[in-house]
Formats: sequence, structure tokens, C-alpha cells
Amino acid sequence: MNANSTDEERLTGRRAFLRQVATLAGGTSLAPKVIGAAALAAGGASAAPASAQPAGASTASAPAFGYESLGPDEASFVEAMVNVMCPADTLTPSGVDCGLAVFMDRQLAGGFGKGDRLYMRGPWKQGKPQLGYQLPLTPDQFFKAGVAAANAACRERFNKDFDQLEPADADAFLRDLAGGKISDIRVPLAQWFNELVYPLFTQACFADPMYGGNNGKVFWKMIGYPGLPATHTRDMVNFRGKPYPGAKDPKAIPDFS
Amino acid sequence: MATTLKKRTVVICGGGLTAGLIARQLTSKNVDVLVLERGYDHTRAAEAKLPNQRDELRWATHAGLAQDWAVQTYTLRHGRNETALPVRRMEAFLPGEGMGGAANHWNGQTWRWAEYDPILRTRLEGRYGRKAIPADMPIQDWGVTYGEMEPYHDLFERLFGIAGKAGNLRGQIQAGGNPFEGPRQNEYPQPPLETTEAGLIFTRAAQNLGYKPFPMAAANSPNAYTNPDGMKLGQCQYCGHCERFICEASAKGSPEVLLFPLLLKRPSFELRLRCHVVEVEYDRQAKRVRGVRYVDLVTGEEYEQPADIVVLASFTMSNTKYLLMSGIGQPYDPTNGSGVVGKNFCHQMMSGVNVFFKDRWINPFLASGASQTCVDEFNEDNFDHTGLGFFGGGYIYSNVTNGRPIASRLVPPGTPAWGSRWKQANADWYAHSFAITAHGSWYPHRENYLDLDPTYRDAYGQPLVRMTMDIRENELRMSEYCTQRAEEIAKETGATIVAPGTPRRGPYDSRVYQTTHVTGGTVMGADPGTSVVSPHLQHWDAQNLFVVGASVYTFNAGYNPTGPLAALALRLGDDVRRYVDRPETL
Repeated sequence: MNANSTDEERLTGRRAFLRQVATLAGGTSLAPKVIGAAALAAGGASAAPASAQPAGASTASAPAFGYESLGPDEASFVEAMVNVMCPADTLTPSGVDCGLAVFMDRQLAGGFGKGDRLYMRGPWKQGKPQLGYQLPLTPDQFFKAGVAAANAACRERFNKDFDQLEPADADAFLRDLAGGKISDIRVPLAQWFNELVYPLFTQACFADPMYGGNNGKVFWKMIGYPGLPATHTRDMVNFRGKPYPGAKDPKAIPDFS
Repeated sequence: MATTLKKRTVVICGGGLTAGLIARQLTSKNVDVLVLERGYDHTRAAEAKLPNQRDELRWATHAGLAQDWAVQTYTLRHGRNETALPVRRMEAFLPGEGMGGAANHWNGQTWRWAEYDPILRTRLEGRYGRKAIPADMPIQDWGVTYGEMEPYHDLFERLFGIAGKAGNLRGQIQAGGNPFEGPRQNEYPQPPLETTEAGLIFTRAAQNLGYKPFPMAAANSPNAYTNPDGMKLGQCQYCGHCERFICEASAKGSPEVLLFPLLLKRPSFELRLRCHVVEVEYDRQAKRVRGVRYVDLVTGEEYEQPADIVVLASFTMSNTKYLLMSGIGQPYDPTNGSGVVGKNFCHQMMSGVNVFFKDRWINPFLASGASQTCVDEFNEDNFDHTGLGFFGGGYIYSNVTNGRPIASRLVPPGTPAWGSRWKQANADWYAHSFAITAHGSWYPHRENYLDLDPTYRDAYGQPLVRMTMDIRENELRMSEYCTQRAEEIAKETGATIVAPGTPRRGPYDSRVYQTTHVTGGTVMGADPGTSVVSPHLQHWDAQNLFVVGASVYTFNAGYNPTGPLAALALRLGDDVRRYVDRPETL
């Protein structure tokens, strides 16, 4: 990832890039099916296709990158959202640079998104919140229905898509979503945000980095979670009540695989 | 058509802790035992090996070892006037699957219940008068005493290498142990686990208030341990991956470490994995069961497995479902209180208060599932309830079982849910905070019960079990009271920040984990009119059918359920062995 580009450049770059692609294609949606922050950071605001690497760009340093589940509008929403929820600051890089959008995409594309371990038989009825999720959508489908509904609500309020909002407006909009102040006729947006999106956000930050988020274990370093192997029989006594040295350099599953 | 198999002496439905313990007793006398278990052997899979064992997302967040809700879940409604809906992804409690069952992914918190618990009704009536127990609270005695169970508690503790400090040795109260404990014949087989930093803080605060803190008894082994069967436990790594995880160090007392490897070497034992029992075959006229019908989950074929004796040793919900599906015993009817199957369904009341220490390193990742420090002054009837307006209570403890970062981060009240201030609060307090928790009882209510759902079905085409339940007034008051006591301890710790206490409030919520301690549905007792099984766990309406597990509890205590459940299972193993020789009412 390019740590030098700011969030604003990144977002602007993405929009500009997609618009240019769309213009070239005569207005139809020809945005690349898989395109991500890393590719955009490399390609920047130029109209070069994502596959065209700038001269000298390393192709060996990072795995191939792209979204498996999210379409371009959905990716723009998610990238803007994770950059609001996790702004670049002294603690971590931006949400996109931490891999939070990739994490969400991978979860939605995988078993979780497809409804693994979720009872999916009808009939379908809505009930009290304590009875839990009751929609006939898989988590992946629900996520995308929510993005579309939230974007529609955003256009109604601001006359803009979510990813075009100023960070302060975007933040306020997310708080209103969480607080149940934004409604849609069909999609329960508060439940969508609080029970699907927000848990994915915290998982993206704190899950093992092998899932695509928590890049460089940045969130584990931030809080001082030492990770693996966690064989603490002696540590339990030696570091009881003391700073734990391993917390500065956490290890994750890929370090032992 | 189902293929009929060769008859076996004892068929046990479910391959978890109780099945393992019963089978240990039976096969030691060469009794022929077949265990049918729907899941698989986890011991060599990713969940039991480094590095993937330490994957919080897969095993904890997604509860990868719990029952697959796509196949079978439960429906929920808060009252009889409502329509139940399926809990599509259950979070409130987590039944297990596979060899070892839920006891593979437990925390290891091991309690004997109070000496008075098996005679709780008698105790409360004796202390508060015959009319003190509300009419809608069907608390019942078990028909067995603590004294009768004590040798089996003792055996279980030695088999599982339980680590703790006795509080009551043959009637003598012991310093450093739980003074409210029932009398024990022997000290715990292993010394307590190391105390956490949170436990040290909790101990001082509790002592300042005049309480007697003690280490929780643990199935997390502080040392390498060899049990009386020659089975070995490794040493606990304090890795913080116990509940929802399998211990890769074989340091957590679990059936897949201590029981099944032993049983599989015994000639009279057979374990059939990926076999899902769908029905017990019942001869109503003869008042006997003929065997069970099961689906082989590898081939999809259905089998009839005849047996001289059937033992239901599944999770609370499944034990109840088998009886309802098979038409054995009269289903409970809340409108007039008649019937027995499904009654007295209970869960647990968890609540607490978070404390934050600017200058203390709590290091929550240095912990095991039961490395807790507790006080028992406010559990159940350990204190006088006169004038309080409720019965029950809970133990209060320093609740640090892990520092897994997705779920185990505490931030002070007022912290935003995201953004730079959220990150800063996590950075500031993750290593410096813990919860003081009350683990509260849940007494039965006439309107909390299980039956079969009229609408929703599982993957085998059978009705889902329907939970009609809510948190009733008695439990709400109990939680309020115990949370206040936890808050007092929290304030005494000298914490930089003491968050407001959060007593458990209704309505009952399927989205929030409480514990996996759901109890009742097939309760035990001396009166066939109010119980499903006898004090020997023999079914009143089928002499050769036995039921064991937390489903036989007539209420849920403020203590974790594993201890008495294991003691009852070992005792049942001996009872069934006698029944093999002389099949009669025990």
C-alpha cells in the first residue's frame, strides 16, 4: 500500500478514475470489476487502466489485490465509510490502508456472506429485535441492499452519494444510521448498520491480518495485544501487573504458517 | 426404509461429557456401549492445532465449534400470546458438536453447587415459610442429596484434574477457600491457577468489604497432571483461548483429552461419529424403548439401532426434543401446569460493572478460562432474602478469561463507537481494564418452557424446539441486587473509572451471549407428577430409558452447571450398570 497518499487523494483519485473510465466507455458502466485502493494508489488519478503498472512499480511485494464481492459503487461506499470510521491519525493509517474494506469484501464473498451457519428457511416474518435477524437475504445480499438504501437516503439529504460527503457530514450520517434516524421503506437501516456493518468494522480492525484487515497488525500494536503463540505460562507470573514486552511486536497466524 | 442393525446393550445419544463419563463407568465393567454423535473428531483438525487454534474470528466470532444453526436452531417468543420466530444465528448460548460436545469449548469453570441446592424448595420453605415461594416459581427438590453426589463430585474432580482450594473439608472451613462450599472429603487434586492482576485487585477490594475471596475451581490444569485412569493433561499456557476453543495444549479437562481416547481402547466401547439420532423408538404399552433411529450423515442412510437401554446424553434442548418427538411422557401445558416434558426451562443471569485503572497493567491476554477470583456471599441462599422480594443470587468475580481483541476490549462510558477518539480509548484502556461480573441464578417460571414449534423445521424435516421464555420479575430483581454488590466492590478497587453497573434487563435477547448454561426440560424428581425422570434419572414412563445433562436440573443455580452434571453422569453410569444386571425400577 502507498502510505504517502492521503485519504482525500485516494478518494478523489478513485472517483476521478471511475468517471474517466465511464466517459471513455460512453457512459455505460465499464469500471473495472476488481479494483482496489492499492491499484488506485499506484495508478493515481491518471486514466491508465488498473492493470497498467507505473514504471518501476513492484509486482512482487504485495499479493494481487481486488474486490471479490463489492461492485465499484459499493466499494466506494465502503472505502469512504472505513476512512471515516478509521481516519488516518497518529494511531493508524486510514481504514482503507489498514485493509478494512478488503476485510469486509472478503467476508461478504466467503462463507459468512453466503449465509454459512445461518438458518435460512421460511416463512419470513419480522419480529422483535431480540429474536434477531429475520430477513430472507444472505449477509452479502443484505450488506449490498443496505449500501444502496443508505446511498439513496444520503442523496435525499445531501444530494450526493455517501462517498462524496465531507468527512464531518459522513460521520454524522453514520451516527444517524446507528441511531435509527435514517429509514428506508424496505431495508431496516439501523439493524443493517449496528448488527452487520459495525461488527464487520471491529472484526476488520482486530481479526488476524490473514483475513485482509488489520494490516501490519496495526490495531494489535495500537492496543498492545501480543497475538500468537500466546504460550504465557511463565509470562503470567513474570509480567503480572507489568508492561508486556511482546505487545510491541505482535505475531499473527501468517507468522507461523 | 431404515436398515435395522444388530441390537446393543446400551446406546447413548450424544457424545459429549456426560456420555463419556457414563461410558467410562460402564465399559470398566465390560458393558457393551455404543455412542452416537452427530459431529466429528476435532482433535487433529485446525481448531486443535497452532497456529489456527488462535483464530478469534473463526472460532469465537463465528462460533465455529458450535451447533450449525443452518441445520438446526430454536424458535423464540417471550410469551404464549406471541408467534415464535427462528433464531437464525443463535448467540445467547452455544451447544457443541463433535466428540466431546460443548465440553470441548468450555472455559473450565468448575463448581459444586451449594449443599442445599438439591433440596432448594425444602430449604427456602424452611427458612422463609411455606408460602414464601411464589406460585409461579416451580422450584423442586431433586430427590437426591449433596451427600449422595459427593463421592461422584470427588471422582470427577480427580478425573479432570480440577485445580482449586477447598473451603470446607469434612465440615471444617478452610482459609483461602469458599466458606460457603458444601463439605468435601478431599482437597482439590491440583492447587489453584495463578491469580491474575485483576484477581489481586479484586481480592483486596473484597477483603476490605469483609468478604472472603477465593480462586475459582478450574479445569485448566496448572501443572502436567495424570489422572487415576492414566490419562494426561498438559500445562495451561494462560493463552486466553478456552471458551469457544479447543485447548491445543491438552491442558483443559475435556472429554476429547481425558475420556474418549481411553474409551476407544476398551473392547466393549464403540463411538459412531456423524450419526444424528432423530427419534427414540417407544413402545407405549410396554412402557419401554426399543432403540433409536438415526441418520448417517456421511451416507444419508437411515438406521434403526435396537438397544436394551437408551441413554439421552445430548444438550439440554436435544434431550427435551427427543422426548417430545418420540411421544415419551406428557408434554408440559402452562395453561394448567399439567404435564412435565419441557417445563422449568432456565438460563443464566449475567451482569456486571467495568473498571479502568490508569496505572495498573491488567494484561487481559494473560489468563485462562477459569483463572478468576470470586466471592460467594451473594449467591443463591448464602444470604438472607427476607424482605428482598426475590430468591436466588450469584457469585461475583474478577472476570478476565482472555484478551482476544475483537470481543474483549473495554472502553469507558461516553467513548464514541468509531473514529480517532474510539481508537485512542482502545489504546489507552485495553490493557488496563476488566469487568467485575455477577454470575446469577435463574429460577424457573411457570411460563418459561419448551415445546415443538408448529411452523419451523430443521434440515431433517423435524419441528424446531420452541422456547417460550422471558426474564421474569424475580430474576430482574436478583440481577439488580447482585449488580449493586458488584458495583460496591468495583468502587472499593480504587479504579480510575468505575462504569455504571449494567444489571440484566429484559426482554430475553438471542443476540447477546449469556452462558451456554440452559437448563431444564426433562427435570428430575421424586414425584412422577412433576418430573420427567426419577432421582436415578430413569424415565417414569420408560423403565429402560435414562436422561442426563443440565436438562434434568429443576432450576439453574448461580453456579456453573458442569460439576453436578458430571457427578450425576458418573452416578448414572453406576446405576445403569446395576440395571443391566437387574432391569427394574431403580
